[in-house]
Amino acid sequence: MKKIFLFAICLLSIYACKKESSTFDGPSIEEMYSNFSVLADFKCDKDSVDFAAGEKALFTAKFNKPVNWKITITGQTSHAQKEITGISKSIDATNGIWNGSTSVFPMFKAEHCIAKLTITDVADTFQVAVKIRTVKVNEGFVIADFENGFNPLWVKFVQSGANMDFTIKTDSLAPQGAKYLKMAGTVNWDWLIGMIDYPAKAYGTANTLSLPTNADQVYFNCLIYGVPGTNDSKVLFQFREDENADGIINAATDDEYDVEIPVTWTGWKLFSVKYSDLVSLTNGQPTTPHGNSIHNPDKIGKISMLHLADPANGFASCKIDYIIFTNSPLEP
Amino acid sequence: MNKHKIPIVFVVLLFLQLNVSAQQKRTIDFIGGARSFISNNRIHVQDSIPDTTTIKRNTGGYALIDLGLDIRPNKSTEILGMFRIRNNYGGFWGSGVSFDVRQLWLKGIIGNVVRYQVGDLNLQQSPYTLFNHHADKIDSLPAIFNLQNQLISYEKYYQKNTWHQQGVNADFGLTFSKIVKEIDFTGYLTRLLATNFSTTPDRLMGGFSTKVIQSKHFSFGYNYFSVFDVKGTVLDSNTYNNNVNTVSLAYTSNIGSKQLELKAELGSSRAEYSQFIEASQLKDKFINASAKLLIPKQHLALTLGYMNVGPDFRSIGAQSKDVNYNFIPGYFNTIGNNQSFRAVDLFDVIRNENIYNAGVSVNLMAVNPVYNNALPYGEATFNREGIFAKASYNSPKGIFINAEHHYLSEIRGQGTYQLKKFSVTKILASVDVNTIAHFTRLMRIQFGMNSQSTNRTSNAEVDNVKLNTTLYQAGIEYEIIPKVDLLFGITGVNCKGNEFTTERNAYSKAEYFTRNSYDLTQQISALGFRFRFDAKTNLSAVYQSSNNQDKLNMSPDYQTDQFALIFNMTF
Repeated sequence: MKKIFLFAICLLSIYACKKESSTFDGPSIEEMYSNFSVLADFKCDKDSVDFAAGEKALFTAKFNKPVNWKITITGQTSHAQKEITGISKSIDATNGIWNGSTSVFPMFKAEHCIAKLTITDVADTFQVAVKIRTVKVNEGFVIADFENGFNPLWVKFVQSGANMDFTIKTDSLAPQGAKYLKMAGTVNWDWLIGMIDYPAKAYGTANTLSLPTNADQVYFNCLIYGVPGTNDSKVLFQFREDENADGIINAATDDEYDVEIPVTWTGWKLFSVKYSDLVSLTNGQPTTPHGNSIHNPDKIGKISMLHLADPANGFASCKIDYIIFTNSPLEP
Repeated sequence: MNKHKIPIVFVVLLFLQLNVSAQQKRTIDFIGGARSFISNNRIHVQDSIPDTTTIKRNTGGYALIDLGLDIRPNKSTEILGMFRIRNNYGGFWGSGVSFDVRQLWLKGIIGNVVRYQVGDLNLQQSPYTLFNHHADKIDSLPAIFNLQNQLISYEKYYQKNTWHQQGVNADFGLTFSKIVKEIDFTGYLTRLLATNFSTTPDRLMGGFSTKVIQSKHFSFGYNYFSVFDVKGTVLDSNTYNNNVNTVSLAYTSNIGSKQLELKAELGSSRAEYSQFIEASQLKDKFINASAKLLIPKQHLALTLGYMNVGPDFRSIGAQSKDVNYNFIPGYFNTIGNNQSFRAVDLFDVIRNENIYNAGVSVNLMAVNPVYNNALPYGEATFNREGIFAKASYNSPKGIFINAEHHYLSEIRGQGTYQLKKFSVTKILASVDVNTIAHFTRLMRIQFGMNSQSTNRTSNAEVDNVKLNTTLYQAGIEYEIIPKVDLLFGITGVNCKGNEFTTERNAYSKAEYFTRNSYDLTQQISALGFRFRFDAKTNLSAVYQSSNNQDKLNMSPDYQTDQFALIFNMTF
């Protein structure tokens, strides 16, 4: 017993002596809780930016300690917003660059903007003005932005329910350009409210879309608006491949990849997915594709867009805009 | 209304039919339980201005029956299906009535060798792989508080240190005549998360343990635990995995009339996301070793041990907590004129089943320094190193005393190079007075104390931490007339000092340290009666009063009173 007791005392002594580690986790508490001061004022490197030409706005500032900061850039005409956030001692080229993209829709227009810097637990705010000379251009293959109305080669089907509205709207809600598509109605016997087929022929590209062959470099994007207080919508996109590009899509021998988007939010939201991440769905459950089981974005012969909602829950409504393929997730 | 009638009538008919069959073949048993709970609650908030917005009273309760069919269609198969019918008081047929499946499993033996179970499982491996440490449950509560606390264990399927999961489990053993006595193997695969085919992946949890029993003196084992996302079940191809490998050793030796047990478990973990570069890989090691001396003559057991759990050791199965402190309590959830959310308090920890987890959590859960700052994830708490000592005395005369002390330190600083020191002293005791004084009626006295201190001293004053917490309880149960017990108990927590709570990102890395000050006092006193119909059935009437005081006025003081009538039965 004496030996055990002595052993315990020795161990206790060893740990009582150890007080410091060579590294530590997280930010320094001493810095975090010191008095805040600005070492370099909040600035933008340009008064005006030509985003279409690839220019970017660089915001800079320096503080005496790491802070939780947020830059909110607001368009004075569109009221579009871009938020850039970080936890750091300085705002610089690594964390303070704006490429003209949008966080809160609509997208920015050529307009005057105010960039406001707010810091957690600091009452003062700091701001600079910056003008957008030209807006950011998004490289990609646009399936539909509804700016020119319905393409006559698109195929629309709308159920004959109550309060059906499957029309293009022109109002201030438009997140991109001036128009968007509203999809609404009450269908109490079926999940389908309405749908649009976008065949490859509508884009003057023979039987398949002109997209890259590498499915890892093809992203599908769209903007969807969730309407509060309505039946939860689901937007289902079906990408039907025409593997032999003969103009005939055969459900038994060609691949179909799908994505079902439950619209659980309010307002506009960007949805992006890599084409190679898509799965084949049957009644919402993953299944094996019927073709070569290889994601071939360059073989897409038709895209079907379906607005679905539980028939037991009444009126469903959502809006959609800017359906576009890009080679990286869209930064609108 | 009719929606519920049809299945219930069907089930009753089914039971009648099966009962006949049971009488003929004796292959079906009915098991389950019944409960009625009704309570009247009152809250009194002492805000700076009179509180006119908080609802001050609520009354409610429920009756439920768990009806299980334990079916043995043949000698190697057993099936259990347990239904729950619950009716909230005030609700009837369609409003407040629910009809659920509570448990469903099938188990059996394949070829008289491999035992298997599919469906609901209660799983446990080693303390660093899959283990419910009950780090937040209060040990040895007096009987009056246990009336409701035991309901939580039942509701959450707590069986010692298991977690409730759904999946498949198999085990088998091999015996040998030479060198090795026995080898046991157990493995399981369960589903932690079900995919929504959009943002939530299918997350599976699996593992196996092998234990080699060389002799009655020596055994060793290997444990493997893994949690992983199934690629392709979400659109995002980024997947998470957490793998833990451990080795355990046990050696027992007799020293005269005493017995010495040496135990150790050591291993490593790795947790990573496949793609996100900001989620760097976390990998680390641990060791826990102890020596236990059993002295049967004195009814004593003495343990001395050492633990070192690395700062980046992550094991979801062992670091899941039972209490979710971020949960907003379902009753009296806001207090004061500002309608501020009421934080989980001691009363909730004792009686509110909604704040408890049944299964393994998929994320690192929040820590509440008031209740457990030293070992918030039990023995598997990462970033801890130190020694511990335990002593227990269990006399056949009805005296039980358990004392333990942990002296621990951080291994890596949190926001500073300085390390926190932790000291935990726990004493639990119970005395069966009737056994000592030789009278037949039950009379048991219980008391316990858990005192924790956390200290960090630094040249920079802002880094300093000093937090002292004492959790205490005492209680008595006395059989005043045959089968009718008078119950009394008091429990409370005092917490004073300051501590930083760590805000972690989605990858459990520290991002921010929020400074908190505490000067809290919570105390619950309770008085009640219990009528024991038999060992499995009782009816209790309990009055409890809880006082919560925040001397720093961070939140308003309040008092909660509850009168509850609880009928509980298992069969």
